[in-house]
Amino acid sequence: MTNATMKTKRRAFGRLQGLALAGVAGLLAVGSAQAQTTPPAGDPNGLQPEEPYTHKLPAITPHWGFLRGSWENPGTRIWDGDSGKMLGLVQTTRWSDLALDPKKKFIYVAETIWTKINRGTRQDYVAVYDSNTLNLVSEIPLPGRLIIGAMNNNFVISDDGKTGFVYNFSPAASVNVVDLEKRKLASVVELPGCSSMVPVAGVGFSALCSDGTMATVKLGGKTPVITHSAPFFKAAEDPIFDSYVHDRAKGEAVFLTYTGLIRTAKLGAEPVIGEAFSIQAAAGLRPGDTKPLDINWMPGGRQMMALHSKTGMLYVLMHRGEYWTQKEEGEEIWAVNMATRKVVKRVPIKDHAGHIAVTQDDKPLIFLTGGDEGTALVLDAVTFEQKQEIKRGGSGIISLFEGN
Amino acid sequence: MSRFNMDALGEKLLRSFAGNSSRRSFLTKLGAVIVAAPVFPLLPVSRANAAGKDRTPEAKTAFARNAQTKDDKKCDYWRYCAIDGSLCSCCGGGVSSCPAGTEPSPVSWVGTCINPDNNKAYLIAYRDCCGKAGCGQCGCDNTDRETQLYMPQLNNNVIWCFGTSSMEYHCSTAVLVGEAQ
Repeated sequence: MTNATMKTKRRAFGRLQGLALAGVAGLLAVGSAQAQTTPPAGDPNGLQPEEPYTHKLPAITPHWGFLRGSWENPGTRIWDGDSGKMLGLVQTTRWSDLALDPKKKFIYVAETIWTKINRGTRQDYVAVYDSNTLNLVSEIPLPGRLIIGAMNNNFVISDDGKTGFVYNFSPAASVNVVDLEKRKLASVVELPGCSSMVPVAGVGFSALCSDGTMATVKLGGKTPVITHSAPFFKAAEDPIFDSYVHDRAKGEAVFLTYTGLIRTAKLGAEPVIGEAFSIQAAAGLRPGDTKPLDINWMPGGRQMMALHSKTGMLYVLMHRGEYWTQKEEGEEIWAVNMATRKVVKRVPIKDHAGHIAVTQDDKPLIFLTGGDEGTALVLDAVTFEQKQEIKRGGSGIISLFEGN
Repeated sequence: MSRFNMDALGEKLLRSFAGNSSRRSFLTKLGAVIVAAPVFPLLPVSRANAAGKDRTPEAKTAFARNAQTKDDKKCDYWRYCAIDGSLCSCCGGGVSSCPAGTEPSPVSWVGTCINPDNNKAYLIAYRDCCGKAGCGQCGCDNTDRETQLYMPQLNNNVIWCFGTSSMEYHCSTAVLVGEAQ
């Protein structure tokens, strides 16, 4: 224990003693008041003195949604999609990314703060919270991380839950590999020109790169081994959204470009990149184009797609517009059957949405955020019936526990 | 204004950088970026032709067709074609200057915007002003030629308060760097 923490603890203990004395005084005061009023042994209204306590979370269900608040109110609220009730809040500062343990035991928050709020010593770390009590379990110091509004592929966790990957940009790009079992930094992998990671079972992780390739980083040896796929996309002309989705069950990533090209990548030491198809063509429309004045249905938002692994249904937020409207929020959800490569349903969104996520159980729910005044929607992912409309539910990134 | 000149632009950016930075750790990190240059497109030079040469409405983005040059407190001001954040001109600063008590970032990412008055393309450095909580005024998010995080120099989400005494983001400016073509 450092001197600083000891001092802090002593101070805290001192305060506690003070509080305890005040508490005793308070109890005496209550006792004195009771003596004067002599309350009946049993209150006629059934009211009893209470002891304050702290809840634990109920048993996790697949229908929980972790919804990031707004820029001004950046905490992450946990909502039960079945009841529409708030269950709790995860402390997420503005410059943080949340990741959920695939084993559901922990909630991880990679974040950056300064000792004097806007100045002082910078602190980068992963905060580890117990997913039942939401109590802080540990903090894992990091050498740095990218400071940016929350994104969903800047902090990802390996399938076995043992390793976290935290993106850093200083402005040199690297990835902090974090041992979540030993709760310490394992290594730092320099990864110039690449970002937005996906874990690769038994290998390490992959990331997208500015040269149109996917980099794969093999860990476990003395030094990381970085290999690149052949180029398969144009990073400046028709970029792949860095908020692509990951199907853990199949070991696949699904990519989407600004113009609406969808393709999969089978993850591995040597990833296999699939052929692209146009989401607009899959709906019977002309493919998206980069030309100005070519108004079409285009994908857009900050978390614009979600994949239901068992059914292979990809849900994409689509809006009407020209090219370079990649952050425009969705007016419709397009459901793409990835097996047949057809858009099987187009669903108008009440208001609009910039973020979408789908639960992975057999009765999946869709969560949407981005509506006016932070209104979040919960829909049945099969019938698209609206289940909940949650005022001030959340405005940003949505995270879900995976599996049933 | 002179035509686009790679050397002059490089000098201008370096002068600006030298004038604003003295932090060895930051320079070391920047060195790592330069060393890692093979996968890092040369910038902002590589953006010089990004807006193309055709200035007909059919060749302009929706933003460029509707941009104005009079009011730098509005999101459709021509230089803001790819800005994301609070406009410093609404926060006590200006289109290329920081509000009192904040510090301009010595590095930035670069957009290419078309001035509707002369139909010329200009390189715009979106420098953040740093050191205080978010200004919260005039929030804009324009996305012309804005790409994703693996090209951070063309991504408008990254906080560019590197090399400043505090990385807290306050607002964004749009500094005219030079004519693109």
